[in-house]
Amino acid sequence: MFEMFEYDFMQRAFVAGLFIAVLASISGNFIVLRRYSLMSETLAHSALVGVAVGLVAGYNPLWVAVGVAIGAAWLIEYLRSAFSLYSDAILAIILSGSLAVAVIIVSLGGAFNNSLFSYLFGSILSVTNEDVITIVIVGSISLLFLLLFSKELYFIAYDEEVAQTSGIKVKFLNFLLVSVVAIIIALSIRVVGSLLIGALMVIPTVAALQYRVGFRNTMLISLFFALFSVIFGMSLSYYYSLPSGATIVLSIIVIFIISLIINKK
Amino acid sequence: MKFKVPIFDVKNLNFIVRGQKILSDISFEIFEGEYIAIIGPNGGGKTTLIRMLLGLEQPTSGEIKIFGKKLKNFKEWYKIGYVPQRATLVDENFPATVEDIVKMGRIAKRGILAGISSEDKAMVEDALAKMDILDLKDKMVGTLSGGQRQRVMIARALASSPKILILDEPNTGVDMVSQQRFYTLLAKLNKEDNITILFITHDIGVIADDIGRLFTINQKATICNDPKKMLSCEEVSELYGIDAHALHHHKHEH
Ligand SMILES: Nc1ncnc2c1ncn2[C@@H]1O[C@H](COP(=O)(O)OP(=O)(O)OP(=O)(O)O)[C@@H](O)[C@H]1O
Ligand SMILES: [Mg+2]
Repeated sequence: MFEMFEYDFMQRAFVAGLFIAVLASISGNFIVLRRYSLMSETLAHSALVGVAVGLVAGYNPLWVAVGVAIGAAWLIEYLRSAFSLYSDAILAIILSGSLAVAVIIVSLGGAFNNSLFSYLFGSILSVTNEDVITIVIVGSISLLFLLLFSKELYFIAYDEEVAQTSGIKVKFLNFLLVSVVAIIIALSIRVVGSLLIGALMVIPTVAALQYRVGFRNTMLISLFFALFSVIFGMSLSYYYSLPSGATIVLSIIVIFIISLIINKK
Repeated sequence: MKFKVPIFDVKNLNFIVRGQKILSDISFEIFEGEYIAIIGPNGGGKTTLIRMLLGLEQPTSGEIKIFGKKLKNFKEWYKIGYVPQRATLVDENFPATVEDIVKMGRIAKRGILAGISSEDKAMVEDALAKMDILDLKDKMVGTLSGGQRQRVMIARALASSPKILILDEPNTGVDMVSQQRFYTLLAKLNKEDNITILFITHDIGVIADDIGRLFTINQKATICNDPKKMLSCEEVSELYGIDAHALHHHKHEH
C-alpha cells in the first residue's frame, strides 16, 4: 500500500493533510466548546470568495482565501458586538452571502471548471510545493499560538465572564482565535475543500467528547481521530480517485458513529 | 495616622437601562476581613451590582475603586475570586475534571507564557483540600452533584489565593444539610484564612449568626451594620415581612 508515496503529489498531499489534521482538530476543540461550530462553516464559505478572486485574477487562491477569511472573521466579531443580532443569524447571512459573491465572481470570470471543483471538495492532486510551504509555515505559527494560549482559551470556553474577571484578555484572545481559525480554514481548502473543512474541525472534537475524559485527553483523542481520518481518507481518495475532502469527512463520520455507539450510556 | 484602604469603595453608583432605573445612588465600602451578605427581591439588582464591581457591566454614573485603584486601572484580578449565579449548572459534556477546573484559577496568577509550576500544583491541592474535595480530583465535573460542583467552583476561585470571594447565590439547588456545611466553610475561610466574603443569598435565616453586615439591594441599597438586629432592621422586615419573622422562629427551633 505504500507505493502511493512514490508519487511526489502524494507526498505533498500527505504532508499538507497531516498538518491540517493537527491544526483543524486542535483549533476545533476551542471552536466546539465555545459553540462556534457554525463559525468554521461560515469562514470556509468566505474563504471561497478568496478562492474565486484568486482563480479569476490569477493570484494564488490560498493567499487570497486567507485574507478574505480573516476579514470575514473580523466582520462577524464586529457585527456580534456592535449590533444586537442573533449570532447564528449573522453567521447564516455571511455564509450564504459569501457563497453568492463567490459564485458571481466565478461566473463572471468564466472560471467554472475542474479547478473550482477541487477547491470545493478537496483534491490530493492539486497540492503544489508552494502550498505545502505555505501550510507548514503559516500553520506552525497558528499552532504555536493555539498551544501557547490553550489554557486561557480553555478557560474562556468554560466561562467567558469568569475568565474576564480573572484578568484574562478575553476580547483579544477571541479575536486571535477567530483569526487563527480563519487562517487554518483557508489553508485546508486544497486538501479538504471549503465545503467540507467545517466537518474536519468539528467532528473529531465531538467524537472525542463522547469518551468523557478531561481536557488534555479530549484534545489528544480528537487529534488522533483527525490524523487517522486524514490518512485513511487520503488513501481512499488515491485508490478510488475520489475527492479527498469527501473521503476524509466520511472517515471521520464513521469514527464519530463508532464513538457514539461505544459510549452509549 | 494610617488609613485602611477598602477593598471596594463604591460611590453614587447609578445604572439606568432604556430609561429604567435598575440601581440608584449606591455607595458603600468593603474592608478586608469582612463577611457580608447581600439580600433583596428577585430583579432587585443584586447580580447587576456585583457585575459592576467586577467590571462586567458599566455603570451609568458613579465610581468604583478596587484596592484604592480606579476599576479600569485595576490589574490584580487574581485578588478577587468570583463564583457567578448558576455556576453549578455546568454543561454536562464539558471535558473537564475537577482538577482541570481548579487549575483555571491559577491562570490569572501566572505570567501568560509560564507553565504549571510546583507552586501552582500546591495551591490547587490546597484549594481542593480547603473545600474538602481532594478525593474528587479526577472526577468529571459533569458527573458531580450540585453541592459538589459548588465546592469545585469555590475551589477554583480560591486557587488564586484571593483576598475576597464574591459569590452570587451559591446555594441554588443545594439541599439544607449541604447548605449548613457550606456556611460553616465560608465562615471558616473568613476567620481562619482572613478571606473577605461578599455573597448574595435569599436565605437570611440560616446565615444570620455569622455575618458581619447585611446589604439589602432593591434598586437602592440599605446597609444593616448590626448583625444581631439584622432581622429587625426596618428595611429587611419591610422587604421580607412575614418571611423574616418565620425564618427567625425557624432558627430558634434548632
Ligand atoms: N444589561 C442589562 N440590560 C437590561 N436590563 C438589565 C441589564 N442588567 C440588568 N438588567 C435588569 O436589572 C434588573 C435586576 O437584575 P439582577 O439580575 O441584578 O437582579 P437580582 O437582584 O440579581 O435578581 P435575582 O434574585 O433574581 O437573581 C432586572 O430587571 C434585569 O432585567
Ligand atoms: Mg441575581
